[in-house]
Amino acid sequence: MSDCFTCVVRNRAICASLETDELQLLGKLGRNRTIKRGETLLWEDDPAPVVANIIDGVLKLSVNLQDGREQIVSVMYASDFIGRPFGKESPYRVTAMTDAQVCVFTRSSFDNFAREHPDLQNKLLQRTLDELDRAREWMTLLGKKSATERIATLLIELSDRLSVDGCSPETLYLDRFELPMDRQQIADILGLTIETVSRQFTRIRKEGIIELPDRRTVIIRDRPRLKALAQVA
Amino acid sequence: MLLSCCSVTGVFDRDQSAARLSHLIRVVMWSYYPELLAKPVPRYTSYPTAVEFNSSCGADEYVRALRDLPPGTALSLYVHIPYCQSICWYCGCNTGAAGKVQRLTAYLEALESEIALIGRLLGGRGKVRHIAFGGGSPNAITAVEFVRLLDRITTIFDAGIPQISVELDPRGFTSEWALAMAASNVGRVSLGVQTFAPHVQEAIGRIQPFADIEKSVSALRLRGIDSINFDLMYGLPRQSLQDLDETLVQAIRLRPSRISLFGYAHMPDMIARQRRIDGENLPDAELRFAQSALGYERLTQAGYVAIGFDHFALPTDTLAIAAKEGRVHRNFQGFTDDPNDVLLGFGASAISHLPGILLQNEKNVGRYRSMVSSDQVATVRGVGIDEETRKRGAIISSLLCQGQVDAGASRMLPQADILDIFEEKELICRRDGKLVITEAGRPYARHIASLFDQFRTQQETAAA
Repeated sequence: MSDCFTCVVRNRAICASLETDELQLLGKLGRNRTIKRGETLLWEDDPAPVVANIIDGVLKLSVNLQDGREQIVSVMYASDFIGRPFGKESPYRVTAMTDAQVCVFTRSSFDNFAREHPDLQNKLLQRTLDELDRAREWMTLLGKKSATERIATLLIELSDRLSVDGCSPETLYLDRFELPMDRQQIADILGLTIETVSRQFTRIRKEGIIELPDRRTVIIRDRPRLKALAQVA
Repeated sequence: MLLSCCSVTGVFDRDQSAARLSHLIRVVMWSYYPELLAKPVPRYTSYPTAVEFNSSCGADEYVRALRDLPPGTALSLYVHIPYCQSICWYCGCNTGAAGKVQRLTAYLEALESEIALIGRLLGGRGKVRHIAFGGGSPNAITAVEFVRLLDRITTIFDAGIPQISVELDPRGFTSEWALAMAASNVGRVSLGVQTFAPHVQEAIGRIQPFADIEKSVSALRLRGIDSINFDLMYGLPRQSLQDLDETLVQAIRLRPSRISLFGYAHMPDMIARQRRIDGENLPDAELRFAQSALGYERLTQAGYVAIGFDHFALPTDTLAIAAKEGRVHRNFQGFTDDPNDVLLGFGASAISHLPGILLQNEKNVGRYRSMVSSDQVATVRGVGIDEETRKRGAIISSLLCQGQVDAGASRMLPQADILDIFEEKELICRRDGKLVITEAGRPYARHIASLFDQFRTQQETAAA
């Protein structure tokens, strides 16, 4: 059972529109889990497929290709809703890229609850559509974009998604942030080698678009040029 | 107007109808030769047809065919949702009452398992260009479930931005569904309409107010989905020429980009739910022919282009454009501009088509579910396509889709003179080295095509 009233993403997560009493009911269905970086998220003692809210941290959603390679389908951040049911032999695996905190529901209990709460149902539909859009964008990125475009896309996304203030419903565009993952993880996400990732970072830095004061910190100096590099519309 | 004084006493008003029928038939320049239409022939949505499927082809063959697909092969996917909110009596499709929510959820879980399983077998080979949802009624599932399904297909098959088409039941088609479809890039929709005549609707167990259709069409167009097909039917119980005419006029007023006009096939021995339809009230062969002619006349007059023997499309529709360019193909959903040869079917009873083979999944939903949930491929029957069969299939397809075929095809006829009777009546002619089905021959297209069908002629020789 989750304590929704003190939840850090209370105003931004899919449950943001729920009233107090509804939130109490939903909280009874959800379970709070803390996972360490590298850990795969599953609700072990329930074999049913689950969905989850991300309260804190960065997680990746991946599938296993036939040749054993892992293809990362999505990177997800605080207040994101993982609506693609995973667990119980579904092909999606959810893994923490950083230490993370999530709120987990069985798919059936979440869907049933949503069915009785039209506002939540709308949000569920919207989030599911967003996931589909992101899946398509991701496929395009992996299929078509150059290494530079991929790195730039990720940097823009990270600066959009990593907000200082977790409670606020508004998105703050960060011009300075900590990378929540290391170079190898970035390489995995973007389907590049670690050498290419390092090279691209250096290149973008040398063009004055970003500054890299240390291994984890990124400062965006020229957002419009970074967006242009990412081919963001 | 042709039928302004037609009485509505149904199909049995012989004196008035007979005169009207022959007038109508003359107008469209179709001649009625019942002897040439006597033999029932298949609709040829595949060749060989499903009748030839047997259990000698199944899972092993599917696995092998998937493995042999070259990387980058263009793929079409078909997803079958065998559920409807209520069952119509005429329907021969594999479907059942949706019933409890759990039943649908369980089926969707099975579909998702099958998608993951086939995805693993494909190993990244193949590029999905087209996804079709059919049934039953795909909108028997919720909008969220539909998007999740599409998302799963997109991620497992790396589908990019394929063309997506969905069959819909206009009853219970919500604006939520319209939103979901528009947002997920569904480009084409097919609505089950059948008839607008209330007494005919009663006779087929499909009560569907005109308002439902209007609402659905508006909802779709509002969201930018304007490739819309109406499925209409003739030959229905209690359906007079006037009933069909009124339905056509109303349909034309809504101006869908395509109309498919199917003749009802009454087979109560094979299709149990059709026993609820009173066989006594069905139009006879001559009236059916006239109804088909009426459809052709009304729709072509209204600006629709006739495609094959039962499809009509506005000139701006991709199917009409494909027809002009000789690019029409045929698949299980009818005439299409989808050129893809490789079709993977998902769900109970779904049919797959790969090079050299046709395969079908287990029809029974329960058995299908237990197969795919234990990681077993669900194809249980099918048929191989050898070189001769492939050639014959190409001829049949060319006749049905392009209305013509290379004259050399007549080498594949069982007897040289078998076409004579059609030629004498100018239903088929020879022109520029081709055998061409004339406009008057259009209602006979399937029968002409069946002359090249080795499985039909085998049956006949055996029966002789």
